[in-house]
Amino acid sequence: MLELLALTKRFGAVLALDGLAMTVGPGRIHGFVGRNGAGKTTTMRVILGLALPDSGEVRWKGRSVTADERRQFGYMPEERGLYPKMSARDQVAYFARLSGMPSGEAAAAADEVLASIGLGERALEPVERLSLGNQQRAQLAAALVTAPELLVLDEPFSGLDPVGVDVLAGVLRSQVDKGTAVVFSSHQLELVERLSDEVTIIDAGRTVASGTVAAVRASRGTDLIKVALQDGRTDWADRLDQVAVVGREGDVLVLELKPGADDQAVLDAARRAGRVRSFRREYPSLTELFREVVSR
Amino acid sequence: MTRWQVTRLVAGREIRERVRSKAMRISTGVTMLIILAVAVLPGLVGDDGPTTYDVGVFGPRADQLAERLPVVAALSGEDVIFDVRPLPSMAEAERLVGDGDLDAAVGDNEVVVDEELGDRLGFLVQEANRQVVGESALAAAGVPPDVADRVLLPEPLPVRALDPPSEEETEREGLVFVGTMLLYGQLLGFGYWVASGVVEEKASRVVEILLAKAPATQLLAGKVAGIGVIGLAQLSAFMVVGLAAASLSGTIDLPSGIVPVAFQVVGWFVLGFAFYGGLFAVAGALASRAEELQSTTTPLTFVVIGSFFAAVSTGGDPGGSVAQIATYLPPSAPLVVPIRVAAHEVGVGTVILSVTIVLAGIAGVVGLAGRVYAGGALQFRGQLKLRAALAEGRQVEREPAA
Repeated sequence: MLELLALTKRFGAVLALDGLAMTVGPGRIHGFVGRNGAGKTTTMRVILGLALPDSGEVRWKGRSVTADERRQFGYMPEERGLYPKMSARDQVAYFARLSGMPSGEAAAAADEVLASIGLGERALEPVERLSLGNQQRAQLAAALVTAPELLVLDEPFSGLDPVGVDVLAGVLRSQVDKGTAVVFSSHQLELVERLSDEVTIIDAGRTVASGTVAAVRASRGTDLIKVALQDGRTDWADRLDQVAVVGREGDVLVLELKPGADDQAVLDAARRAGRVRSFRREYPSLTELFREVVSR
Repeated sequence: MTRWQVTRLVAGREIRERVRSKAMRISTGVTMLIILAVAVLPGLVGDDGPTTYDVGVFGPRADQLAERLPVVAALSGEDVIFDVRPLPSMAEAERLVGDGDLDAAVGDNEVVVDEELGDRLGFLVQEANRQVVGESALAAAGVPPDVADRVLLPEPLPVRALDPPSEEETEREGLVFVGTMLLYGQLLGFGYWVASGVVEEKASRVVEILLAKAPATQLLAGKVAGIGVIGLAQLSAFMVVGLAAASLSGTIDLPSGIVPVAFQVVGWFVLGFAFYGGLFAVAGALASRAEELQSTTTPLTFVVIGSFFAAVSTGGDPGGSVAQIATYLPPSAPLVVPIRVAAHEVGVGTVILSVTIVLAGIAGVVGLAGRVYAGGALQFRGQLKLRAALAEGRQVEREPAA
């Protein structure tokens, strides 16, 4: 279990992290979302020890994380990086050895992980001669070679075609099946919603929502009701206590259900106003939640 | 993993990758060819023999001058031969000198040359003329010819040197100087390899993964050590091949005591590279792209070149004030001290003091470089100010080791 406790980090005049908190459990995929500059990359660098927080703590398995533990974490930085003239096999083995693996074991682990992500054939070529997709695979192999218990991936899906996305999603799923904790950041919120067991939304260095998508929805999200009457009237709900009118889309009235209010009472009110053509409960997508949360 | 294991692992990768690189092989080959040429060619061409002057004589004293010029040449100790030609007239003399067939033509009261006479030929011609004039004057005074000869051509004075230079010592000093030049080339060339190696890791972004796996100081130490080992191997190969070739081709006779001298140069390379390698790594960490290396390495290049000039000055005057000061400065000591040792200008105590100062310099550089590297390595945009890198590095370095 990875725990980030009240991390703060200042770069000059910029407060990059402002009390950020997050928890990632073993065997869970944790989506990490926020606007550009919200502090995602800084958070990941703090997890890996590449940047030091001004205050707060990174805990791993209930204790303050050690440098040796960090070396075992798998990391894929946002700016991909491999030695262009070295073969994928050589450098994946090299990173394994830097993590402390003995020489023979590192070579075997490199071969195994490269084969498992479908790069076995090309693994002996210099990385610069591989296609971008295959370079991305080599990068992933470098993160996976130590069989890490924590995988930190900064924008792993950016630049991937739909097939690549599916392959990577499959790899992540097989990792969490082995008990690995996975944190990944992404701007593709539909993807995050589909893949993640849990999400954390941050804004300006602060955690604004965290937990399962359903929990985030329950805590932060607002349940919407969209109602259309046969005669197109949209003024009937203005005085209703249970809801607030949040918008009108043509003759469709968009209502926000107040906490504890009963949607059936709203339906009754609508029926009193006229013939109901459609009445729909809408659960906000992660995208909508995100928009709502970060615009506050 | 221990610090030593990380450093060795990083150094091992550097060595493997550099040895495989085409650029390294080509530069080694080209340098080796130049060294072989410099070592072998003088021996093959050999001594270029005596200088021959073509001189014409004309006028009433032509025969006496023709007789005296070779005598003067022989007595002067200079390695010259006169090819003397009697000429019928001044007009003919002017024609031949003007055409370049003669170096000079000597007449009754003048020397005809095309542009200028030159010091050596001038001295010999004037001396021959003095003797001819003196001979005539002595004969007119009734002095017998054998007495006149003793007056005009006395035995040259023998020379007694109080401290004659040994030929071996001169050769050893020369070899040390050549070794120092090589050392300078290696420090600058391989220093630049370090800087470009650091910036390549930044440009390819691989540095972020490296720093997640190992502490900055050890990554840096490994890189400097790995590249330094190649520089050392290359320097040793250059020296062995150069000396062997020069000795086999007859350019030089290897002076005794050359082996300690060679070891001294190698030892100073190790110290010098530890010092400069760290500084070049700083220059690399301050740049984001290879193009920016030019400007971030400039101050350092000035330091290396300044030290080189100190070494040149020391070669000319091993006891001079430049040599004395440069002995105690970490950047210049590696280039200056071997020359002064070969010239017997400094004792063991001075060398130990100098080495100690350089070691202290290295310790300072390692601390500085590790901090700048840690702080600058993840700044991927634009050229970095040293102060900013230091400030960021101080933070990362503060992390307690596990």
